[in-house]
Amino acid sequence: MTDFLFDVIATELEDAVGKENCSTRSIDKITHSVDYFWLSRMWADRGLRMPEGDFIVAPKDAKETSAVLKIANYYKIPVTTWGAGGGTQGGAIPVCGGIVLDTKRMNKIYDVNEQGMYIECGTGSIYKHIEWAANERGYATMHYPSSLTCSTVGGFLAHRGIGVSSTKYGKIDDMVLQMEVVLPNGDIIETSPAPKHAAGPDLNQIFIGSEGTLGVMTKAQMRIYEQPESRQFRGFLFQNMTDAFNAGRELLQKFKPSVMRLYDEAETATLIKKIVGVEKKGAFMNVAIEGVKEMVELEKKILLETFAKYNAEDLGSEYGEKWWKEKITFFYPGHMMDIPQCFGTMDTIAPYDKIEKIYWAMKEAIETNFPQARFIAHFSHWYEWGCMIYDRFIVDGDKVPQDPHEAFRLHQEIWNCGVRTALANGGVVNDHHGVGIKLGRLMKEQYGPAMQVFEGIKKQLDPNGIMNPFKLGL
Amino acid sequence: MQFSQKAKEHIDSCRFCWMCHHVCPIGNATGLERNTARARALGLSLVARDAIEYSEDIINNVYECTLCGGCMTDCVTGWDPVMFAKEARLGAALDGKLPEYVMTMLKNFEEKGNIYGADRNENIPEIKGGDILFFLGEDARAKGCAKVAVDVLKAAGVEFTMLKDEPNSGYSMDFLLGAAAEAKTVMETCAKTLNGYKTVVCYDPADAKVMKREYKEYGVDMNAEVVTFTEFLAGLIKDGRLNVKNCGEEFTVQDSTILARDLEETEPIREILSACGNVNEMLLNREHTVLAGNLIMNEYMPDVMEKVAQRRWFNAENAPKKATTVVTSSVADYALLATTKPEDMELLKVEEVVAKCL
Ligand SMILES: Cc1cc2nc3c(=O)[nH]c(=O)nc-3n(C[C@H](O)[C@H](O)[C@H](O)COP(=O)(O)OP(=O)(O)OC[C@H]3O[C@@H](n4cnc5c(N)ncnc54)[C@H](O)[C@@H]3O)c2cc1C
Ligand code: SF4
Ligand code: SF4
Repeated sequence: MTDFLFDVIATELEDAVGKENCSTRSIDKITHSVDYFWLSRMWADRGLRMPEGDFIVAPKDAKETSAVLKIANYYKIPVTTWGAGGGTQGGAIPVCGGIVLDTKRMNKIYDVNEQGMYIECGTGSIYKHIEWAANERGYATMHYPSSLTCSTVGGFLAHRGIGVSSTKYGKIDDMVLQMEVVLPNGDIIETSPAPKHAAGPDLNQIFIGSEGTLGVMTKAQMRIYEQPESRQFRGFLFQNMTDAFNAGRELLQKFKPSVMRLYDEAETATLIKKIVGVEKKGAFMNVAIEGVKEMVELEKKILLETFAKYNAEDLGSEYGEKWWKEKITFFYPGHMMDIPQCFGTMDTIAPYDKIEKIYWAMKEAIETNFPQARFIAHFSHWYEWGCMIYDRFIVDGDKVPQDPHEAFRLHQEIWNCGVRTALANGGVVNDHHGVGIKLGRLMKEQYGPAMQVFEGIKKQLDPNGIMNPFKLGL
Repeated sequence: MQFSQKAKEHIDSCRFCWMCHHVCPIGNATGLERNTARARALGLSLVARDAIEYSEDIINNVYECTLCGGCMTDCVTGWDPVMFAKEARLGAALDGKLPEYVMTMLKNFEEKGNIYGADRNENIPEIKGGDILFFLGEDARAKGCAKVAVDVLKAAGVEFTMLKDEPNSGYSMDFLLGAAAEAKTVMETCAKTLNGYKTVVCYDPADAKVMKREYKEYGVDMNAEVVTFTEFLAGLIKDGRLNVKNCGEEFTVQDSTILARDLEETEPIREILSACGNVNEMLLNREHTVLAGNLIMNEYMPDVMEKVAQRRWFNAENAPKKATTVVTSSVADYALLATTKPEDMELLKVEEVVAKCL
């Protein structure tokens, strides 16, 4: 792009969002070039510059977003939407340069609606801020991912995020009522006024998970819930994981706890021992039940009876309470994997008939093909029909090549191996972190010809292909 | 720019951590990604690796931090963005790269003894009293008013001294330059005067903070006991020297970040307000308070300071029980809240509440 054209576009963008909200400063470009994706972190750690946007713009609402997208479409420049950059898949990295559209100025809380039990907010709101808004009125969002403080409403929607209380309250796609979306051509649309309807396919679900490739979500109505009268925890130790899966499945046919987390032996012996203090061998499982007091008491009785059938050792409430208190401690530097280690979370999901098989297959594939890697896992989101594996590989720093290109290669090879093994055994590319640039190449391997549905929607809505290129395999 | 080993370690820990993304009063007001601890750390980590220059852009970002400690308080680790931001400011000074707005404030300081370039306020009286020194501080002298505080102290029969030529505590120099020799010299000069008194009651929490913390850290000799105004006032009420009547009004505390975090003082203001009425808390209170304003930064980013204060009013309006009267003991918070006050709400200094209830 010539300097002249650059200035033409810069001044048009300034006109759209205000001069102070359109930046070409190096500090802004740098901060929007590194997200939570391991590769971008490794690159920066090695003193290299990641691909950077040319213009960092921050619209305040749908109208300004629309103006930005119209400019981008006219000049055919890429637009990468950035929430808070807390995504792990490189989804917000402007790999082709162009415009980075930061949503965090769209952080207005429009309404805490106690009748309809939702908060209407700008999608640039950090989720913790809408939790605060709910708490101020005595409610809660019940969306408690470890990144509650790190990420935006729009980011969670775009990546189909999930929190620890998902079994009872659902995933982010269960928590949204209505959305306002700016299409790539700048049109501003609203999805159906209510989510459960028979007025055609669900528009919400087309944009949820679309990772900024089909437009920008600018406003959303997110559900709120009454604070539970009682919340109780119970820790258990299973002798093997088969028993744990069977116990979990049986329990879920009877009622829904809020939290269900099963740690494999490797994580029980490391993370759980370190942070929660469980010293025993086995697979630790934490269950939380919550709601109206009398019902919680009854559910506790059912829980204890069901798990006893599978020889689970009842560890009482202490470990579970400690886990709840420390649930985000796991994610701070010093408690969490970090550079110079090479690591990744390959979360996948499947019905109970396949999930354990996937776990063992992935473990074996990673450990045999990459003897330098450790494999640990827990199973954190449970449904009546199946659950997800949050499995991680870790290569310690002394085994990670210093050469950034070699480190890059190792990282990609481990991912290919892990995800392909999951797919081969009935899993999916990802459960709740999304696809981004990290896993785009594997989308076609999961979907096969079904991918043309996504491609068709993309082509129709974004004919110039400006929205977040090379993400989601689109 | 040369960082200490300690600063490098903290920078490298914060650069890829998103956990305190939600607390930064500046980030929340501007919506800008660069106004987060992790963004600042990332930029500085690249400087430390010689991947980028310590340029004007990066330095400006270092001056966009209020040093309020919100990130640190929220963090479970002890990594310290305030420490590395201050070291980066010192580095900019040592490299001769201070931004123009900082240079202007330093010039003001040299010429007028305060960074605002304010002339001496002749309306502030000199009071010759006992061995208690009532220390007003730079912000109150240049941008505030402590008249009611003085009246309240008099009403309690406190014998105190207030200086016409009050030395500068060094708070602003420390804010702008970190542990620079110039900041230490200002503190040493101040300590020499203060050491002539038994007790120093600091009207502005910012001065109490440097006297209690930085003087010690920088090895400045200080013998006088330093007490915050709120602690002193609460003591006067407890001892019965100030007889306040409970007027039944509701007060919402805007905790000073300096008092609540740096000095771990949160209860005296509540004791005072409970004696005068009832306390109605905002959700984010005590050490989780949110900065409502910084007068030094107001010199170079007034628009952002306005937004910061507006956001705090929003918190007060949305308190579990809507606040009607917000009370603070922070000179800076008061000044910025006053310029953005919604019509249907009231703002008071803590001494004004006491004066009302005498
Ligand atoms: C410490 C830590 C722990 C984590 N734990 C969890 C967890 O427990 N559960 C979980 O689900 N995730 C977790 N994550 C991942 C992360 O929080 C989620 O992926 C989140 O969805 C990212 O949101 P963001 O606002 O940071 O988005 P970004 O990283 O900025 O963007 C992510 C993607 O969304 C797109 N996007 C963002 N906003 C919009 C919008 N308004 N419209 C259209 N597209 C948009 C971007 O283009 C990009 O493709 C964790 C991350 C961290 C850092
Ligand atoms: S202060 Fe703590 S929470 Fe904030 S970036 Fe540093 S390590 Fe993370
Ligand atoms: S010290 Fe305050 S202003 Fe600075 S990064 Fe932390 S929270 Fe933001």
